[in-house]
Amino acid sequence: MLGLASGPACVASCGPVLIPSLLAERTGLHVHARYLSLFLATRLVGYLLFAVVAWELGALVSLQAPTRPLIFAVINLLLAGVLLRYAYSVGKAYNRPLERRELVTIGTAVKHRISGAAAIGFLTGISLCPPFVAAGVRAAESASLASAILFFAFFFLGTSVWFLPFAGFGWIRRNEGVTTVARMAMAVIAFFYLYIGLMTLIGKHLYGV
Amino acid sequence: MASDSLPARQSRSVVRSFLLTLPIAVWALLMASAAYGHANRAQWIASVVTVLFMITLFFMMMRTSSTYRWRRWFFVALGLLFPVGFIHQVMVFRGTMGIPIEEMIAGRTPFCFLPIPLLILPAAFTKALVFPGSILPNGGMSGGGMAAMAGIWLAITLVVGKGWCSYACFFGGIEEGMASLPAKAKIRKIDSRWRYGPWAVLLAMVLLSLALFEPAYCMWLCPFKAVSEYVAARNTIGLIQNGIFIVLFGGLVIVLPLLTKKRTQCAFFCPFGAFQSIFNKTSVFEIKIDKSRCTPCVLCQKSCPTMALTDESIQQGGTLMSCMKCGACVDACPKGAAVWHIRGTDVAVKPERARLMFLYAAWAMSIMFAGGIIAEGLATILHVFI
Amino acid sequence: MAKLKSKLGYTGAAFTLVIAALAPFLVYPQLSKGFAHLGLHIDEIYAGGPKVRTIQAAGYTIDIRDQVNPHMFQTEKPFVQLDWKPARSLPAHISDAVDIDGDGKPDVKVSFDVPHDPKTPLRVNVDSLNPRYESMQDVGKKKFSALIVRVDDAILVRIPVKQ
Repeated sequence: MLGLASGPACVASCGPVLIPSLLAERTGLHVHARYLSLFLATRLVGYLLFAVVAWELGALVSLQAPTRPLIFAVINLLLAGVLLRYAYSVGKAYNRPLERRELVTIGTAVKHRISGAAAIGFLTGISLCPPFVAAGVRAAESASLASAILFFAFFFLGTSVWFLPFAGFGWIRRNEGVTTVARMAMAVIAFFYLYIGLMTLIGKHLYGV
Repeated sequence: MASDSLPARQSRSVVRSFLLTLPIAVWALLMASAAYGHANRAQWIASVVTVLFMITLFFMMMRTSSTYRWRRWFFVALGLLFPVGFIHQVMVFRGTMGIPIEEMIAGRTPFCFLPIPLLILPAAFTKALVFPGSILPNGGMSGGGMAAMAGIWLAITLVVGKGWCSYACFFGGIEEGMASLPAKAKIRKIDSRWRYGPWAVLLAMVLLSLALFEPAYCMWLCPFKAVSEYVAARNTIGLIQNGIFIVLFGGLVIVLPLLTKKRTQCAFFCPFGAFQSIFNKTSVFEIKIDKSRCTPCVLCQKSCPTMALTDESIQQGGTLMSCMKCGACVDACPKGAAVWHIRGTDVAVKPERARLMFLYAAWAMSIMFAGGIIAEGLATILHVFI
Repeated sequence: MAKLKSKLGYTGAAFTLVIAALAPFLVYPQLSKGFAHLGLHIDEIYAGGPKVRTIQAAGYTIDIRDQVNPHMFQTEKPFVQLDWKPARSLPAHISDAVDIDGDGKPDVKVSFDVPHDPKTPLRVNVDSLNPRYESMQDVGKKKFSALIVRVDDAILVRIPVKQ
């Protein structure tokens, strides 16, 4: 239930990262289904990893004040880097023919390439957004590691329901315009995450009004 | 197909032009008389000058059968005089261009049209408007309130579609003026992909506004804070925000238009412009290319201030949906191939009728909305002397 | 078919002219009214929560407003807003123990000076008597969720609530 209730907030937090990267992929329901599957799977890995850490360390409940912003800052900086690299990789992918079901990958040498969807999914999976932290507190209070993992798995399922409609992006016909808009939007959002990460890292208030 | 339209740029007689201008003259007098209850001398003179200015420009549009250069006079005047009147009001009410937090809490931040697309998703999710203004008038700088601006924006958009960006936007005139200053562009080759910029900024700002629950464009990217108002900087973040808008204003509104002779902020950045493009799909008026007359010399493409004409669009007989209906391409076309058009009718059959109908509607909206702003700016200047 | 499309086009154009003519008298006022009746409200991070209770003090009142919680990823903390009014009737120094949650026990002790000149910046100290509310020392206009400001004839204090 917490997952279902938190779904809109999760979509809102992942939206700036997910939507431009979905738009940057090729047309086709199968491509988008594959993208979302990979995104959600790696997000689940991130969730479960966090569940283990939260329970094992009791870390979330007593997570020291300076540590949480540090984690938050590092994740934002990584997201910024991934988005920028992703935007660059989309340009390269657009210029060479891809297999029909192939997703955009980031990285240089073939063996170091990872799917953009996987990178983004994992990073959003471990980002400390408020519903996630709330779930983490509940998980940390669980009687056993297994129940903590189960809690997070159900939380993940509840939030993931809200992501399924995004498969419909596969119906949007891609052309130079859509891909360019997606890449530019990724760059704008990446700079914003870069700023948030840097400002948090150097300990400034994020918004001073 | 044969066109029995007015040949391009053929003058009309003075009498006929005068008769065609009469409805606009009546409208302008009606709007001016409704604007001020008890006008002081400066306001009265400013009103008279503004009315004469708008009527004269319309008369010249009728007389010369060209649109762009006369419309540009109005638009540049609006872009220059809006900051004069607005900043003066801000200084009178608050003594500073920086918005103090007290004014934001009191709901007296004036609402401009730029945040409209950013407010939609947060309001849809929570019924909350993420803007520190007031829905109804609330004294101070709240003006008519957000409802008034939303209402007037929608009314004008229903009439002119993306023509808002040529006949109502009180920000675009500065860069249009800058773009018209040099005789030739120093930068002539612009990658056509930059015209997707507004859509990218719109997408990014809409998503970030929902995630952060604030008007992200206003907080971070609006270049026009340099000529209106901004959140008072009280810390490092405020300084960064203010630095960004100064750089964007200097680059996109002053320097790049001078170098390219394009409206670079509008063409490559403004998210509201991208949002308005959607309403070009609902607008009855548009610009078309009569392929039977087109050579193609691409003078229309070169003259367009926002790169809304491409080789493909010309081949397909029209503009992109980012067309602002400024009339530059129509005036530039030596063959009369670029024409004003009403959807559903034959291309280049009576284009002058289409132009007239559009101009009556658009100019009426300009007088209604922008006329008061021009008069206010003029009155502010006249107050110094009178 | 072409004739019908043409007729529809001209009808649409004429209709647009009618809308333009009616814009200042009917269209714009109705659209504005419609917007005002959509049931929207200004985000409470700016406007503060709705008033829930008023405490009567000597010569002035303290309005207690409902807790405001941030939406989505707003960086503000949850807060409660207390309004002292009328500001012109306030003594030179305020030091009030306020029961925010209405349980009969004071939750915070708020103290600030009320300068004669309304333009003088304000500073507030809040001592938390209930662990739910955060203490503040010498705070001015720090953030939307932690501040003291004068708005019209009221002095508003916003106290962050611990998450």
